[in-house]
Amino acid sequence: MPQPPQPTDLLEAIIGVAPGSALSQLRAQRPAIVRHTQGSHDVLLSPADPGGLSLAERALVAARVAELSGHVGLAGHYRSLLADRGEPPHSQRQDAILRHVARVTTAPGTALRGHIDTLRAVGLDARDIVALTQIVAFVSYQVRAAAGLALLAQEKAA
Amino acid sequence: MNAKRFTLAAVEWAPWLPPVTPETASPAQRAALDASPQANSAYFRTLANDVDSLAERSPLFHAVMYVPRGLKRAERELATVVVSIINGCVYCSSVHARRFVELTKQPEIIRALYEQGVDTKLEPRLRAIVDYAAKLTREPAAMTVADLAPLRAVGMDDLEIHDLTNAVAMFANANRLMQTLGEPVVPDGAA
Repeated sequence: MPQPPQPTDLLEAIIGVAPGSALSQLRAQRPAIVRHTQGSHDVLLSPADPGGLSLAERALVAARVAELSGHVGLAGHYRSLLADRGEPPHSQRQDAILRHVARVTTAPGTALRGHIDTLRAVGLDARDIVALTQIVAFVSYQVRAAAGLALLAQEKAA
Repeated sequence: MNAKRFTLAAVEWAPWLPPVTPETASPAQRAALDASPQANSAYFRTLANDVDSLAERSPLFHAVMYVPRGLKRAERELATVVVSIINGCVYCSSVHARRFVELTKQPEIIRALYEQGVDTKLEPRLRAIVDYAAKLTREPAAMTVADLAPLRAVGMDDLEIHDLTNAVAMFANANRLMQTLGEPVVPDGAA
């Protein structure tokens, strides 16, 4: 079965870094960061076995983190992924997940053990909860990596 | 100032989810744990519940913090301490404050950050690093090219700024995992 085309590097696509440009060469000095940033995105958003956190839910969570963090480009990327997968219907489960996502994104120091019980009560198991948290943590990383890279790009364009 | 007890003492971490144990680990989980900084820590064993993301994250973390050239290791550690103070991560700040002190023998810088906050008086290069780390942590969407000027003024090149950005970003990640999958256990009398 033919594979879909390999995605280009998402961060460079979002920032508009041209292949071979000074910024692309700068990133290439840290090849493991380039590889595992993209790799983290791929295993979190498109795992071969999504377990109890569906592919659509994963895209919804990532979109919400990008929106709460104010990153238009990444929010657009994840909204588009969500549109391809079909937005999951509104539910009590979705409310509980998105409340947790907002807390971890905007006030990570306020999490309590009881929040884990709330997630378990809507059907998430240990792996799903770790994956959910990794998605929030990854997009929080990605937003800042993208913001810093964009500054270097703007500086060079000035 | 934050009421949390930031410390230079070693802090333990207690998970809120069952960590993977050596007896129950799959071969993939064992391999991902072996590639993590501390295979036996409860934190990495908790992350091993979702093995594929741990297997990507550990080499990413290693590259951000330890790959040679570019920003000095001590300055990467300092940036992660600042991010951890702002995000309230007692465990992360303790680990990376001790690494900074091992590298610089300057515990007074950490004490000043803990006691007076991230706006405490610092020499110009550290001030520029701390300001950039603080703003990128708090308001990533408000960053402008003017935020690079203080870093350029103290002589930082592209690779150093790129490394600083990645260290700050990595701790946006680490602080969220560490504080929402478990909690720090601070020893009595630690200061």
